[in-house]
Amino acid sequence: MKVKVNDVELDLEPGTSAIDAVFAAGYDVPYFCSQEYMSPIGACRMCLGKVGAPRKDRETNDWIRDAETGEPQIFYFPNLMATCTTAIMDGMVIDTLSKEVRQAQSGMMEFHLINHPLDCPVCDKGGACELQDRAYEYGAGTSRFEFDKRHQEKHHALSELITLDRERCIHCKRCVRYFEEVPGDEVLDFIERGGHTYIGTVDEGLPSYFTGNITDICPVGALLDATSRFRGRNWEYDHTRTVSLDDASGAAIMVDARTGRIERVKGARNTQVNLDWIDDSTRFGHEYVDAPDRLKTPLIRKGALLEPASWEEAAQFIASRLAVAGKRVGVAVRSDATLEEGVAAKALAEHLRGHAEHFPRPAASVIAENPATFTDVATSDAIFVVGDPTEEVPTLDLRIKDALRGVAPPELLAHGVPIADLRLKERMPRKRSILTVAAPYRTNLMRHAGQELIYPAGQEEDLFGGVGSGKAGASLAAEQLNQLKSALSDAKKPVIILGAFVLASAAATRAAEALAESVGAKVMKLGPMANSYGLEALEVTSDGGYADLLTQSDVLILSNLNPAQDVQIGERLRNLDLLIVHDSFETETTGLAHVVLPAKTGYEKEGTVVNLEGRFLNVYPAPVDSGTSEDFIGVVRTLGEALGVRLDGRSVRSARRSLAKTLNHDLAALPEEGLLAPVDAKEIGETVADTVAGNLLLTSSLLKVDRLRRNPKLRAAHGDVALRVNPADAEAQNLEAGANVTVNIGGVARSATIKITEDAPEGLMLLPATFDQALGLTSAEIVPAADLVSA
Amino acid sequence: MTTIAEKPQLISSRKDAQFEVTLYKNVGVEGAHTLETYLEGGGYKAAKKALTTMTPEAVVDEVKRSGLRGRGGAGFPTGLKWSFMPKPDGRQRFIVCNADESEPGSFKDRYLMEDDPHQLLEGMVIAGYAIGATKGVLYVRGEYYKSYERLREALAEATAGGYLGKGLFGSEFDFEIILHRGAGAYICGEETSLMNSFEGLRANPRLKPPFPAQAGVYGLPTTINNVESFASAVHIIAKGADWYASMGTDDSKGTKLYQVSGPAAKPGVYELPMGATFRELIFELAGGPTEPIKALIPGGSSTPMLAFNDETLDTPMDYGSIAKKGSMLGTGGVILIPQEKCIVNATWNLVRFYAHESCGKCTPCREGISGWMTKMYQKLVSGRGEAGDVELIEIMSRNIKGKAFCPLADACLGPVQSSLALFRDEYEHLAEHGTPKYTKTNWWSA
Repeated sequence: MKVKVNDVELDLEPGTSAIDAVFAAGYDVPYFCSQEYMSPIGACRMCLGKVGAPRKDRETNDWIRDAETGEPQIFYFPNLMATCTTAIMDGMVIDTLSKEVRQAQSGMMEFHLINHPLDCPVCDKGGACELQDRAYEYGAGTSRFEFDKRHQEKHHALSELITLDRERCIHCKRCVRYFEEVPGDEVLDFIERGGHTYIGTVDEGLPSYFTGNITDICPVGALLDATSRFRGRNWEYDHTRTVSLDDASGAAIMVDARTGRIERVKGARNTQVNLDWIDDSTRFGHEYVDAPDRLKTPLIRKGALLEPASWEEAAQFIASRLAVAGKRVGVAVRSDATLEEGVAAKALAEHLRGHAEHFPRPAASVIAENPATFTDVATSDAIFVVGDPTEEVPTLDLRIKDALRGVAPPELLAHGVPIADLRLKERMPRKRSILTVAAPYRTNLMRHAGQELIYPAGQEEDLFGGVGSGKAGASLAAEQLNQLKSALSDAKKPVIILGAFVLASAAATRAAEALAESVGAKVMKLGPMANSYGLEALEVTSDGGYADLLTQSDVLILSNLNPAQDVQIGERLRNLDLLIVHDSFETETTGLAHVVLPAKTGYEKEGTVVNLEGRFLNVYPAPVDSGTSEDFIGVVRTLGEALGVRLDGRSVRSARRSLAKTLNHDLAALPEEGLLAPVDAKEIGETVADTVAGNLLLTSSLLKVDRLRRNPKLRAAHGDVALRVNPADAEAQNLEAGANVTVNIGGVARSATIKITEDAPEGLMLLPATFDQALGLTSAEIVPAADLVSA
Repeated sequence: MTTIAEKPQLISSRKDAQFEVTLYKNVGVEGAHTLETYLEGGGYKAAKKALTTMTPEAVVDEVKRSGLRGRGGAGFPTGLKWSFMPKPDGRQRFIVCNADESEPGSFKDRYLMEDDPHQLLEGMVIAGYAIGATKGVLYVRGEYYKSYERLREALAEATAGGYLGKGLFGSEFDFEIILHRGAGAYICGEETSLMNSFEGLRANPRLKPPFPAQAGVYGLPTTINNVESFASAVHIIAKGADWYASMGTDDSKGTKLYQVSGPAAKPGVYELPMGATFRELIFELAGGPTEPIKALIPGGSSTPMLAFNDETLDTPMDYGSIAKKGSMLGTGGVILIPQEKCIVNATWNLVRFYAHESCGKCTPCREGISGWMTKMYQKLVSGRGEAGDVELIEIMSRNIKGKAFCPLADACLGPVQSSLALFRDEYEHLAEHGTPKYTKTNWWSA
């Protein structure tokens, strides 16, 4: 459709909003209530424009033309229109520059400001505030309002993580709409009416995993991240756009650091991955980086004690010990290590004639044969999830909900993502029927699913076999499974999502892929960590896997891994010739190490990760003061120097040169949305024997258990590590809600708080796993915490 | 082409012998709210006629031909509105009755519901049949408790008597009515807010388009009409569109309920053919003013006030004639403003009402009407006014006019801008002296 904005003529798709026509033409209008991924509502009335269109004569069906010029005559709307809620029409004329329009915008700005406290000098949003910017650009500069402003609560804690300043609120409704439209957790609403309207909750807190996003979209300083409040001004922060290494989604984040400390993490836009949204753990789970017990210098064992040393001393020590140690060398990195670190680990292992491995690594490959992207999920018409995406890959949870809204991600315009996507509405009916969620327990996502299937843990293979064959399986009726199969077969774009419990069994994964092939579905596999995909593609793997590496090595070099969490493994590690542990904090394993090397966290690294779609994403380091911490590249560089070799992966550049050969991609400076280049799936050896019996399911958790102690705000908001127990089991075992217990799983003793909930099925307890625990079914013994003390 | 001579003579005065009270014939009659009395007066015959002898399209056509325009205030042709419903596609459809009569000066629907509830129910059955809706929603203003009780009783009676329910009058048409009480919000008179409120959501107006016919109650095709429109439809079907169209003026047909409030001898609701003059209403029916009057509000508080003079009094009360005067017919709620009453104070009373009723969704209404405008009037009436205040009110009105999300903000500007235009001297006097030119502070009594 032809549209004219001021003096610019454009050709745009029907359905585009007038505000997007204005921006696409290179002009600007102010707006507060619109947000790219939410419904336009026309509440703030800032984006007013003078809008007109030609009209057709009803009888002749020809444009009514101006008598003099012969051009189609433009009929203007009697009132100025909110361009965000006006769809373009053929021949539409939009004026945003005339005096009438500017006066209306300036008048509306004056209304916005009459009750706004204008406390910009003490506001965290100052300098990065939409209201402030727009007031400068479109405001009159002075106010004629001479009365007392509205006084309301200025420090209302909506939750432990979010503070609301009700005086600053301009009632744009972004936050209220966000909860309904994006995560579907309706926890916030307007209360009262007229000039008394304010934002509030019915109950205490914000029971949702995705609350922090409202602090990003708030156009003023009303909703603020409580962890970073009053920590710095916006212009003092170093903004680093990078990728979250907390899960396999590759969500874009903005890390704001000041004087060497991460003050806050915000969501950043990746139009192909997380849109604008991140989960609360990704946002608020950064406090551990600055924990006082962070390791900042290498440590060398002298007798019973580990003593601080320089990197050179540590490297020399290692080199001298390697000369006399046994020859079986194992190198293992955690699965959120970058590709470049993977290259370094491989090169080091190769030089020492040992094996390299990454952990956690599920039994089955995390690389799918017919891989689905997030966009495939968001546009799918039949989704079968086996697992718990909300906990495993929270971004996926939101993208599944996109699919339920039934609106495909918008096409980009000249100015990027459309500001007002008119296809989106408040309270859209959700197409729940397209979503089937199966898990061994009641998951969060099941609240949004048309069909929920709760099957006995460990019977994933039977489940897929049942769906494939149409026979009863995994204690589920044939009818249910048949229905699901026909829904998948009939769909145009079916997607099957395989969570950790499926990947924990190679047989189940094979059954799932067979089903996917038979119904023509794409597959998304939820790898356990940020670079599980990349490290497997790079083949940082060994035949016997991590378990063999731990038992059959004389020398172990571990990065961010803590196998000695299991006391039985710890006993074995005690007898190693040389144990080198690269970690950010002291762990059970560093306690046994000969050398401890301080490690960078995911916010401090430079490198590349591959998310679960097969999307290569660059990771950039935020300026964080972490002493002499190094990533694994630094470890290999220093060790190489001590050993007198120049290893691949001694620097990011050298690693990328090597990667360019193995993966055929130049990984320097990838675009913001990354490089989608899935690798071919391949058979890999099974690393863990399938377990089919047990009383405890080790689950993924969005709240990272290992870091929770050092993330006090997140812990205060979401509570301690919970052992979820069914009420019947709790009664049988005499467990009380809120009681602290120790859960003994093999040689691992975990402390947890009992939470009694119907979410856990009878006979199965649920406990979030640590990074070093394999997910899935296991056996555990519950010991009251008090007994430990007396013992 | 019809010549003037061939045109049927329209009834536009109560004095015409052919005029008979139609909508209000049962109002004030003892026991008129019962089904028994309603049936005695020929009740539910129109519904039976429509359901058993007419097709839905024929009903819509009849209403279209009658020239009935929506009686809720906007005056949109009712038959045309009904014809906007999409073709039946198996989805549930709704007919909604907007009985949230909350505009100051309007109280016609109240007595229709209290004294003649079956007439409304019958109208809804007819409308439901016409648009293919098997469910009706009757949204009653929260404060109208007696209306609610009477409607509840009437619904029970009608259901028991077979006038609501399955297979009405032997036809295949099923119809039931859901009675819903509001919780006291003027904004619920706005059709989309009403739907939100009915659904249990916050009463904020929705974005249009989609219009209710596309996505109304629960996102399903919906038509919404005023109580008086439904009542009129009963008589249009019973007596025919021609009869209905023989009353009124060219652009406004039929009869209309007018209300008079303020210092009149006999304030109340009066039924008149469309096009009757203010003079007839105020002087002949309402017994004339009891004290000197300086202005009148023609159609409920949101319509701009008019100077009380011969020119205004001789204006026919129809949609077009009042629009030409720069105001609106609205709900036909005429409010008389006494000469001795301070116009700023009188307007402040209305501004306060709209400020209280603003839903808070959009900026100009929330901050402008509910915030700033209120404070400006407060300042003036409390005697703290100063030079420039009147201009500021004027500028602010311009900044709000036509820029708000729904008509509520503009409704408030009706009395503000018109009182400024007519009685600017009173505003200036109050701002300058701190005391009103006319000292009467109370709205109604002497």
